[in-house]
Amino acid sequence: MNRRDFFRLASMAGAGVSAAGLSGLVSAATPAQLGTVPTNTGISGRVVVIGGGMAGATVAKYLRLWGGTGVSVTLVERETTYASNILSNLVLNGQRTMTSLQFGYSNLATRYGIRLVKGDVTAIDSVGHSVSLADGSKLPYDRLVVAPGIDFDTIPGLETAAAQAKVPHAWKAGPQTTILRNQLVAMKPGGVFVMTIPAKPYRCPPGPYERACVVADWLKKNRVGSKVIVLDANPGITAEPLAFANAFNVVHKGVIEYRPGAVINSIDASTMTLNTNFGNLKANVINAIPAHRAGKVIIDNGLANVSGRWAGVDVLTYQSTAAPGIHVIGDAAATTQPKAGHIANQEAKICADAIVRLLAGRSPDPSPITNSACYSPITSDTASWLTAVFAYDPVSGSMQPVPGASGEATARSQDNYKEMFKWFNTLMEDSFA
Amino acid sequence: MNRKISRLRALLWLPIALASTCVAAQTTSVAPPPGRLLASNCFQCHGYNGKSSIGFENLAGESSAEIYKELIEMRTKSRPDIMDMHARGYTDAQIRLIADYLSKQR
Repeated sequence: MNRRDFFRLASMAGAGVSAAGLSGLVSAATPAQLGTVPTNTGISGRVVVIGGGMAGATVAKYLRLWGGTGVSVTLVERETTYASNILSNLVLNGQRTMTSLQFGYSNLATRYGIRLVKGDVTAIDSVGHSVSLADGSKLPYDRLVVAPGIDFDTIPGLETAAAQAKVPHAWKAGPQTTILRNQLVAMKPGGVFVMTIPAKPYRCPPGPYERACVVADWLKKNRVGSKVIVLDANPGITAEPLAFANAFNVVHKGVIEYRPGAVINSIDASTMTLNTNFGNLKANVINAIPAHRAGKVIIDNGLANVSGRWAGVDVLTYQSTAAPGIHVIGDAAATTQPKAGHIANQEAKICADAIVRLLAGRSPDPSPITNSACYSPITSDTASWLTAVFAYDPVSGSMQPVPGASGEATARSQDNYKEMFKWFNTLMEDSFA
Repeated sequence: MNRKISRLRALLWLPIALASTCVAAQTTSVAPPPGRLLASNCFQCHGYNGKSSIGFENLAGESSAEIYKELIEMRTKSRPDIMDMHARGYTDAQIRLIADYLSKQR
């Protein structure tokens, strides 16, 4: 094929696509630095995305940016806005409001022509390629992306809604975050705050340790003589060991008591007592983070083929190893990468790129790279950071950390604390704006 | 036995069928630009296509040689900050692709 033939074909494809892609209207008010949806890629297909968190919002946006108007994208989400888990520990010390952590979906609709459907998924038909919603409607798809995030196991003793409201996990930002903040404020000087950390894998590896620091820092200044007891199911600190060991042993010495290898047998919400392998513990506030599993839609639709909890995927495409045509990204997927918002955003881009290539009859990129970065507040004005880069290893078929490219800050700093907000703002812009 | 043979026959046709879809699709769609997926690792902090307005340094439209040089230098800093550490995750060839892609963004 010569150059002229190529351009003739490309322009023919473009004409067909722009006629078919009239629904992909793009607002003229889109800020100049953000991307626009191209009309002449020659690629077409119907993609349905379930879940509008970090992974789902990003994949929807990049499918349009990279696939063009011929790729119709429908985003199914049950909530009106997304509440960011990132920075939600700062609601506990009063530095952020829950309102400031809400992200809507209107940008995705007006700037990128993504169709928004508010609803609950009742079933996925992986043979007939359609998604059924609670209102009885069906969404047909060529490719389905499932990004429901996580669900929690039930800790014995916390079976009722009342018990769960009294002993919140606050590990999905929302009403429980506000409950925990209010409980913290209601503490008296000399009180006891107990938090429990589940065994890996759980969402945001440094998050629980960061929470212990933020709470301890607030209690020191506002409820003198209080303690934070951290009961960790893991044998040791799972992320940023230098920063958090320093925080527990030096910065918040005498306030945080860290106990690894903890087993929580049950929690009695009425007496505020934890039954553990360290004996019974009474507390004024209990923040119990239960063990995690993939969101319900994964379990209910036969996609949880890794220990019955997580969705196995091929990390070149994030296609499910249980059902063809279905991709799973973000915290619900079983990969070697951490379950966290920044990496969910990058998994979403790998997935969007792969779907666009597959729709065009191409092969996925054979050597994808993902990255993880985050900042963890240690006090109300200092933070540490953590970063890792993962590269595809064809031998194991998995993403492996690039040697020498992972690590944490050598010391907490005020500069890191300021950078944390820049990171958060751009990450959220890349996902939702 | 018969079923086995017909399945084998079907399999023999498969590569031809796949190859023809590939050819058909590739002639009508634009190939993804080299380096785009790699460079998208930068977007979380530096904005879409490196066009930053609220975050870290703007990268879009900077010279490829400059982006390449900076990233290579970062890899050998003795007290790495977050970006110095991050730069160690990419090979020279990958950094070249990222730099070329970002330099072409306007």
